[in-house]
Amino acid sequence: MASSLHSNNTQICPNPTALNGGSAADGNSQISKKPRLYADPPPLFIPSDIISEFSHHDPAVARINNGSFGCCPSSVLSAQNQLQLQWLRQPDDFYFNQLQPKIIQSRTIIKDIINADHVDEVSIVDNATTAAAIVLQQIAWGFAEGKFCRGDAAVMLHYAYGAVKKSVEAYVTRAGGYVIEVPLPFPVSSVDGIVKEFRQALRRGKQNGRKVRLAVIDHVTSMPTVVIPVKELVTICREEGVDQVFVDAAHGIGCVDVDMKQIGADFYTSNLHKWFFCPPSVAFLYCKKSTNNSDLHHPVVSHEYGNGLAIESAWIGTRDYSSYLVVPKVLEFINRFEGGIEGIKKRNHEYVVEMGQMLVKAWGTRLGCPPEMCSSMVMVGLPACFGISSDHDALELRTCLRDKFGVEVPIYYRPPKDGEEGGVVTGYARISYQVYNKVEDYYKFRDAINQLVDNAFTCASLPIS
Amino acid sequence: MEHEDPRNGESPHRSSKKPKFSSNYIPESEIRDEFCHHQPRVARINNGSFGSCPGSVLAAQRRWQLQFLRQPDAFYFNTLRNGITASRMIIKDLINADHVDEVSLVDNATTAAAIVLQQIGHSFAEGKFKKSDTVLMLHCAFQAVKKSIQAYVTRAGGSVVEVRLPFPVNSEEEIISEFKKSITEGKSNGRKIRLAIIDHITSMPSVVIPVKELVRVCREEGIDQVFVDAAHAIGSLKVDVKEIGADFYVSNLHKWFFCPPSVAFLHCKKANASSDVHHPVVSHEYGNGLPIESSWIGTRDYSSQLVIPAVLEFVNRFEGGIEGIMERNHEQVVKMGKMLAESWGTNLGSPPEMCTAMIMVGLPSRLCLNSEEDASRLRSYLRDCHEVEVPIFYQVPKDGEDGVRDNDGCITGYVRISHQVYNTLDDYEKLRDAINQIVKDGKTCKMLCIE
Repeated sequence: MASSLHSNNTQICPNPTALNGGSAADGNSQISKKPRLYADPPPLFIPSDIISEFSHHDPAVARINNGSFGCCPSSVLSAQNQLQLQWLRQPDDFYFNQLQPKIIQSRTIIKDIINADHVDEVSIVDNATTAAAIVLQQIAWGFAEGKFCRGDAAVMLHYAYGAVKKSVEAYVTRAGGYVIEVPLPFPVSSVDGIVKEFRQALRRGKQNGRKVRLAVIDHVTSMPTVVIPVKELVTICREEGVDQVFVDAAHGIGCVDVDMKQIGADFYTSNLHKWFFCPPSVAFLYCKKSTNNSDLHHPVVSHEYGNGLAIESAWIGTRDYSSYLVVPKVLEFINRFEGGIEGIKKRNHEYVVEMGQMLVKAWGTRLGCPPEMCSSMVMVGLPACFGISSDHDALELRTCLRDKFGVEVPIYYRPPKDGEEGGVVTGYARISYQVYNKVEDYYKFRDAINQLVDNAFTCASLPIS
Repeated sequence: MEHEDPRNGESPHRSSKKPKFSSNYIPESEIRDEFCHHQPRVARINNGSFGSCPGSVLAAQRRWQLQFLRQPDAFYFNTLRNGITASRMIIKDLINADHVDEVSLVDNATTAAAIVLQQIGHSFAEGKFKKSDTVLMLHCAFQAVKKSIQAYVTRAGGSVVEVRLPFPVNSEEEIISEFKKSITEGKSNGRKIRLAIIDHITSMPSVVIPVKELVRVCREEGIDQVFVDAAHAIGSLKVDVKEIGADFYVSNLHKWFFCPPSVAFLHCKKANASSDVHHPVVSHEYGNGLPIESSWIGTRDYSSQLVIPAVLEFVNRFEGGIEGIMERNHEQVVKMGKMLAESWGTNLGSPPEMCTAMIMVGLPSRLCLNSEEDASRLRSYLRDCHEVEVPIFYQVPKDGEDGVRDNDGCITGYVRISHQVYNTLDDYEKLRDAINQIVKDGKTCKMLCIE
């Protein structure tokens, strides 16, 4: 499978057989490129279609950071523009007759993809940051209204996303909650280490008669990126009597398997603009139907307050809701790849592992986790000779790669632990793979780093900003 | 397109009946072009609800959007923050604020209300305020704001006092008098009024409130904080936050200031801009001050906040700039309001000096508009069968009061007409004729057929 990366042309082909004249299996090579409207589904994409769909990306940049801001194909952008124009054309009519049915349509598609029971469980919001505020605000009320005792705990991962940590501070700590961070090893070698730390953190949370009111668990951590065994951790939470479990899967849909019933969390959020080809920005927040969580509200309160989170979130004042409405068009786009979203996920994962291994071999470093613990992103160790010794160094190196080498990739500073010898890897790049990437992107990165090594580059030599 | 030479100005049509433009200013034909994306044939006399945005500003917005999509990381690190600061600087000058730190950009007035009310809610929850302390608001405050008060104040244990303003209204004194009465009520039994929320221009029914005077009264009466909800203000009337003197002042920019949906500014007087005002969507910048917090609330499309320079370019193509636009909108909407009232034999909801670019016009009593459903039905009927878009207000008759009458009965319904630069006389004649037709056909609201 991976060998398709090195086929005759340099473009990574989503459907290698089509390149070689088509096979009986798909029979698509003779079909016109225009999607047909009736019986047959539109043909699968060929490489030039992909290039065209992402022709608005800066061609001079090796864009290997899909994880931060995602991407959106031009056919979806066109659909979005149509919706924006529809609103501008006659906003009152759109508001009264079109907006709500279209949001319900998007919610229904998401419900099916994530295997939720009922569309009421699916709300659409701007992004995972907003979803976190929604979940955490109800925790704050729990403290304020005396449902919880001061000192009751909330547990989150040490590698939780910065914005979520701030939200926990704003809503939980401020309201009197006690916050416990689960330290995780990195580099990580197996899920066992994660599970062990998590159990210990829960035990700490329950000391002195405290109750653990909420566990916030990333499905795929951001920096450094690792896939967390959420299903297992949710099970442990239930065993240990944790009130509510909130899975922050900002990188979830299109990146890992998202099956709400399987995972079993109370709340689950994922961005759709990161790995699901939506324009900025849109996310879903899943809330399992139960009496425990009927009190969620969108913090921007409008006319629909009290009518359920999904309805509240569908109108939070006048704004551009077009990104919420293009989900049907995105599904059309995805289904023009072999295997749909599952196929894309699988290939992204395979290629990012292959590229990661290519890089660590070229640089003599290591991956941050075993292949089975990464998704469409992987942490790749940078040469120790760079002497990355702070977050500032990491950011400066990133800027240098962008400005001088045309490579866009986030860098993570991993502080050395006590007892670690010199020459340990302290910097990791988080490379992503998405359908628009090609092997040249990663060669460009490989060569940039090799050149810096040849030039005896160190972070100490970077200008102090 | 947006830099087309305006020197070849055309003379206006009969249908626009606008003052002749100097040839340096945007000609009529270009105004039509700028709004050619509006649905033709619809008499769009409801700018107040969702606003409008000219083609040249939409084009500027597209450019910003494409810049982000092209290389989002570079945009995030190098461009976004400066673009937002540039927009905030323009607003600061427009509203006569002292310092750009006082100006935050948020999605809309609804978001600003949540910001202000959340800090009030915290104070109740954290025991800074007593449970009996009150929040004062107008009875006709925007529904979303009322819900926000419920969510953040009532839920946290605070009480609410509503100021009942008369409508139709005849003078500012009537408003000030009712306001003072409510303050007395709010302070009764030793209670403290922690916040007064005052609309600058009420929504339904629409009336300009003498906010400067009311803020002064609030200070005299020892009210902790004043929040002016001026959703309709900027681009509609002059906004001078120093003059008005409120602690918080919010206005939407997409209603009357030609921004795309959606963007608003929230002004926080520096002295009171305690570090305790936060955006409810908490992100990396939490604790760095509201303007900085609001400039990053997660990945999203911030382009509507970045086009304010392009909007300034647009309004400055009009004679007198935004002031000229405001003046002419006001003149025209009053003229059209009077034309309608005369044709229908009804009234205006307020004197001309208490309205800006919107005015309430009484509907003939023969329509028998006797409920919210009737108002809704009439609005849909006008949209579907007459291609007229205008919001309708149902005036609940006061007990024991007769209210305003026309020749046939009590006036219980009002239209809220707006005037913006794209409107023409045709739009209002269409409404006039539609209502006259319904009355002539002997139909009441309940009898109207809609899909």
